Amino acid sequence: MSSVYLLELRRQLTALGVTGSLRGRIVDEIADHLECDPDADLGDPALLARQFADELGSARARTAALAAFAALVVAGLVFSAAVLLAPNGVLRAVQSAGPVVRRTGPPGWAMIPAALEVFLTQIALAAGVLAALRWFWRRGSVILPAAEAGVLVRRAVVGVVAGIGCMICLALVAVAGRAQFGSGWTAFTIGAAGLGLVALLASLPSLVSAIRLRPVADGDAGDVIDDLGPLAPDALRGRPWRFALLVAATIAVLLTVVSVPADDAFDGAARGIFDGLACLVGFGLLGPFLGLWSPRRLDGGDDAPGRSIAG
Amino acid sequence: MRAEVLKGHLDALILAVIADGPMHGYAIIEALKRRSGGSLSLPEGTVYPALHRLEGAGLLSSTWSTGEGRRRRVYELTRRGRRELGVRRSEWRDFVNVVEAVLA
Repeated sequence: MSSVYLLELRRQLTALGVTGSLRGRIVDEIADHLECDPDADLGDPALLARQFADELGSARARTAALAAFAALVVAGLVFSAAVLLAPNGVLRAVQSAGPVVRRTGPPGWAMIPAALEVFLTQIALAAGVLAALRWFWRRGSVILPAAEAGVLVRRAVVGVVAGIGCMICLALVAVAGRAQFGSGWTAFTIGAAGLGLVALLASLPSLVSAIRLRPVADGDAGDVIDDLGPLAPDALRGRPWRFALLVAATIAVLLTVVSVPADDAFDGAARGIFDGLACLVGFGLLGPFLGLWSPRRLDGGDDAPGRSIAG
Repeated sequence: MRAEVLKGHLDALILAVIADGPMHGYAIIEALKRRSGGSLSLPEGTVYPALHRLEGAGLLSSTWSTGEGRRRRVYELTRRGRRELGVRRSEWRDFVNVVEAVLA
């Protein structure tokens, strides 16, 4: 009887991604329990395996989110240090995705990592902050819905992958700008990018460990409003697209306002509108993957793209 | 006592039992039954995922020990686990006092 139970438990654990030494340990512990009491009430092996996958999967998803955020903080600090310590021109080169680099001498290929860096920095920042926010609000939950654990892991993975890309691009920009910006800054930036890369790579084991498990607990993944927790205004609850429009409008207005002192309001407004639209496009494309909005939730609500604009 | 009632308290109960000294899974479950006078009736299997989770949270540590010809995983409280148990005990006493004051 006990060997049948153990075989079934092993099979169920494997199906849920609990494999290797962890599965061996669980089966050994349960085998010891059954030796002590062959009539023990251990419950259905499928339910026991589910409980392991749900509890460990939730914990690992949270750990992955936290590890990714911590690594991204390190990467963000070294990135900021490299940009702040840069000779005049590099910051603008990075911000404007290449034109300054091209005009002042570095090779044309430097445009590609410079442009990618701008894009990846924003993805890494958004994914990392969203992962940390969801971790914070759900840090006390023993079991997360499988969909929500998946969102946490995907945010962590997207953040770390974008961060790794960003560090590689930073190093490439430094190499490309060596003649222009000096070997001292180049060496510092390559070292800084290396440090950021090490921090990001160090978070990979916790990501892999979370990806392996397949929790199955029922429930919703939530949306970007859940990331705000109790801070979310009631008017936005269940309306993630309204929130996205608000953020996009804020970005557009801010970029316009900050460009006024430089007598560059028209360019600022154009860039603000472009960035605001880019924010909406990113929200639309990556939203379901990163748990910012859910098509299933929208089916029952009044917040589908376009609908909220019309009121 | 039904399993649902215990859901929020299982971690604290496990920590309290292991505070007596290192124990393997079966002994922990037996101690839970004994100390509750047999009132705690939860599927015994639910304790093992909780043990793994508490270990992952750094509240327990575990090692294999070999005795009586079999390998067993023995759990003990970490320093952090002991602190957490103190917090949980204090919270429980506050909760009981408040509920008692209202119900009495």
